[in-house]
Amino acid sequence: MATLSFRGVQKTYGKVQVLHRVDLEVSDGEFIALVGPSGCGKSTLLRCVAGLEEITGGDLLIGDRKVNDVAPKDRDVAMVFQSYALYPHLTVRENMAFALRLIKHPETDTRVDEAAEMLGLTPLLARLPKELSGGQRQRVAMGRAIVRRPKVFLFDEPLSNLDAALRQQVRVELRRRHQLLRTTTLYVTHDQVEALTLADRIVVLNGGVVQQVGTPDELYFDPANKFVAGFIGSPSMNFLNHVGPDVLGVRPNDVLIEPVAAEWQIPGEVEFVERLGFEAMVHLRIGEGPRAETLMARVEGEAPTAGDRVKVRFARSYRFEKVTGARMRTGEGASR
Amino acid sequence: MSLLLLLLAAPAEATEITLWHAWRGEERTVLEAVTADYQAAHPGDHIELVFVPYESLASKVEAAVPRGNGPDLFIFAHEKLSDWASNGVVLPVGPLAETDRLHLALAGPLRPDDPAGWRPLGKPVYQSDSPNLFIPEDHDAYGWPLATKCLALFYNRALVPTPPATTDDLLALAASLRDDPIHPTRWGFAWEATSAYQNAPWMHGFGGGVFDADAQVRIDRAENRAAFDFIQQLSALGPAETSGSLVTQLFNEGKVAMVPNGPWFLGEIEPKERGGPDFAVAPLPTVSSTGLKAAPYMTLEVLFLARASHGNNPGTPEQEALARDYAAYLQSTEVARRRAIEGRQIVPHVVIDDPVLTAFQTASESAVAMPTIPAMAQTWEPLARAFRRLVRGAATPEQAAAEAQTTWTIVSRPEAPTVDGRPYAAVLAAGLLAAAGWLIHKAYSLRVWRHWREYLWIAPGGLAVALLVIAPFLVGASVSLFEVAGSASDGTWRFIGFQHFLDILLDRDFPLSDPSTRALSFWYTLAVTIVWTVANVVLHVGIGVFLAMMLREPWVKLRGFFRAALILPWAIPNYITALAWKSMFHQQFGAINAVLALLGIPPVSWFASWSTAFAANVATNTWLGFPFMMVVTLGALQSIPREVEEAAEMDGASGWQRFRLVTLPMLKPALLPAVILGSVWTFNMFNVIYLVSGGEPDGSTDILVSQAYRWAFTRGHRYGYGAAYAVIIFGVMLVQSRVLNRLAGKKVV
Repeated sequence: MATLSFRGVQKTYGKVQVLHRVDLEVSDGEFIALVGPSGCGKSTLLRCVAGLEEITGGDLLIGDRKVNDVAPKDRDVAMVFQSYALYPHLTVRENMAFALRLIKHPETDTRVDEAAEMLGLTPLLARLPKELSGGQRQRVAMGRAIVRRPKVFLFDEPLSNLDAALRQQVRVELRRRHQLLRTTTLYVTHDQVEALTLADRIVVLNGGVVQQVGTPDELYFDPANKFVAGFIGSPSMNFLNHVGPDVLGVRPNDVLIEPVAAEWQIPGEVEFVERLGFEAMVHLRIGEGPRAETLMARVEGEAPTAGDRVKVRFARSYRFEKVTGARMRTGEGASR
Repeated sequence: MSLLLLLLAAPAEATEITLWHAWRGEERTVLEAVTADYQAAHPGDHIELVFVPYESLASKVEAAVPRGNGPDLFIFAHEKLSDWASNGVVLPVGPLAETDRLHLALAGPLRPDDPAGWRPLGKPVYQSDSPNLFIPEDHDAYGWPLATKCLALFYNRALVPTPPATTDDLLALAASLRDDPIHPTRWGFAWEATSAYQNAPWMHGFGGGVFDADAQVRIDRAENRAAFDFIQQLSALGPAETSGSLVTQLFNEGKVAMVPNGPWFLGEIEPKERGGPDFAVAPLPTVSSTGLKAAPYMTLEVLFLARASHGNNPGTPEQEALARDYAAYLQSTEVARRRAIEGRQIVPHVVIDDPVLTAFQTASESAVAMPTIPAMAQTWEPLARAFRRLVRGAATPEQAAAEAQTTWTIVSRPEAPTVDGRPYAAVLAAGLLAAAGWLIHKAYSLRVWRHWREYLWIAPGGLAVALLVIAPFLVGASVSLFEVAGSASDGTWRFIGFQHFLDILLDRDFPLSDPSTRALSFWYTLAVTIVWTVANVVLHVGIGVFLAMMLREPWVKLRGFFRAALILPWAIPNYITALAWKSMFHQQFGAINAVLALLGIPPVSWFASWSTAFAANVATNTWLGFPFMMVVTLGALQSIPREVEEAAEMDGASGWQRFRLVTLPMLKPALLPAVILGSVWTFNMFNVIYLVSGGEPDGSTDILVSQAYRWAFTRGHRYGYGAAYAVIIFGVMLVQSRVLNRLAGKKVV
């Protein structure tokens, strides 16, 4: 177990800069999720920690040791790949024992047995990867990382090849296991639900630039900029350009539809409604002519129907600078 | 209407005959010109001239004439007359005296009951006292001789003002013209010192030869030993490892002053205006110790009368009469002159004013007509082997002569006795019945008749396989149970059962324990073949996989270029590569010894010892073989996810461990079939063995296929024995593929 420090880490491929001065301190045992859209550099950042990519600027420290030029095998980090990358010609036991056998570790078999027990893989130890289901393969990949007891775990979208039900189940297992093992973890995902449910802190990356680092609550309730605000939370935040001088951000569940007249109401019209059982997504249009805008409200219980004229009120809103997207904390209100 | 009648009537009245020939260049032009003249003088007769390449003319004649599809006349060398006359491919053309216009004659067997069968035939009349040749006065002649071909001495006039008259002169000139005894770059004399044909003049000149006065093969005698001694002396003064093309090249470059060669060489000499030598031709010198001329073999270009033009066959008496008249015309002095002057042919009785042709005429006066009996064909390889050993100093003249005799005895050992075929036929019949029964049973159980439409669909494919694969295989395999025409003097098939197989597998004729003939043994050859296959496959896979891994490395620049360049050796026909490597391994002129010389290593005589000759073969075949393995590996690497190797890297595996424990096992499914294919190809890689080492030294680097080839084609046409070899090779391959399938754990071949 160890801390992890990124100090101005940069990565360029030829002339293309994919990571811009990343600074981040990960404390011992912390679970960090890296999120961002495709191509934002999150996987590259992970591979830099693994040593599979060399960093082209700054320093990377595992514990107190600078590892810029240390080979992957000497970094004592374990990685779970998106494809699991199991050795297809080796059995589950051999896959999990691979790293320890290379160094002829005396506890190889006990550790593999322990990990298999913990992951429920004991009956499958003699099988080849092709004889396993997706979820089982995922657990073998995890087991292969666990038996090494590395300083840092790296996960590269480990759940994206699983179906939705299994994904939720494995997510819970992952969380439980991390609480048990308390190994410093870097977890790359494009699924914010995974990030929000698993991580102690989340790093939001966009275009190789860190947008915000914070706990799930901080990111959700106190986004640093328009990008974070739009990226975190599902369904995403509504951005209104014609209400006030700046961009006004309102999460769909902060959009209140009031049948009766009250203060700070904006008239609107229901375009259509997506019903999702106990809740519904109501798509509204407000404003007139060129200043017309659409926004989405999340309504529990009874919802209006398409064509209804309604009044809209915002329970909570955020203001962002129009050009840079930076958060403007002044003038925000619980309602307006 | 009248035109139509004319057209219908015309073929009945005109006589048309066909002539097959392989003459090219000036010879062809003159043949066409004189034939046109003949037709102009004989309106209504038509002579169809058909050009057939020399290499295929004999086999085409043998195939077509017995079926009545052949020509009426054809022109070919006289060497195959013995077979053709006994098989009835060609017809006698009359009593000897009538056809003797050219002072050349060819005749049938001396006595029908002669056990030696066909004797050496044909000779120039003006040679009176050669003991090897006979002219039976009372015998039919076969064919009309048109021209001769024999060796004479080509010399570079800038270096040799007067050609040597005696062998002593020749030795002195060869020594004085060599510019440096240690590192020569110019030589006095060069010839294909390991060719029995090129050495025959010396054997004859020293009073020896292949046959003794009783037409028996006797190489091991004093006259031949003296000739061998002279050959050894002369070759020591010339360039090493001479081949025909090397001699030609050296003469053209002015690096060799004198070479013996035939009239065909005239077309290979660079013209003077393009830097070629200023050459002249003289007869070969007289042997100093005997006073006899160094008499080369002479080949006659003969116009043969094919059987088709006679009697019961499609040919009519009119056609035969026309063929005879046309033959007399071609032989006539007037036409012979034209053939000599315009066609550059050597026609002995025509007097013309041309120094080159005159020299060849003089040479052919003392030449020895090439014998045509089967025993002759069996002497080429024993002699060549003896000359190779002699020239590279592995044997004294005495040893070489004795060895040649021994090898000939082996090659010409008595044929297996005929056995009663009836028990075999009974077993075969029983086997066929059982097979038929099984087939019918199978057909019933599969209810074939209900699916006849479906079977109809696969019938063309099945038929093609049966005709193109199964039938030839069965015919070839059954040949192994016979002694076949060519080896048998009477030209028939004799059933001998499994005698060939027993001879081969029991090493009856050349036991492994005898080192001098061990290389002919089946088990020795099998061992060489296995070592050859294993060495090659290991190198092919090793280098192929290594290069494929390299081509994946990101730090290798120009990967696309290298990928294409490394596949090139595979794209070039393998015999071209083999010939190129053969010349690179040449002791004096080869690139490899030149590179070694730069490193201070003395030149290696690559084909003088087993290990270096074997290494040369392996190097050539590795060059040919690694691209395939590389391409297979590159393809297989594409399908290995990079992440798996990265996972191994993360798991702490070093580069080598990653390759050994992860990449290689993942390549295995793709590589195994490639390895099996590669081993099958290598096992039967005839071209490289035949062209690079040629089995040198002394057949010890031959593999099973090249051995089978030699038994079938260069050791007196023992087709049955060769076929038995082929069947055994098939058996070995069958076992090999079973074993490899077992190793692979699945069915690959």
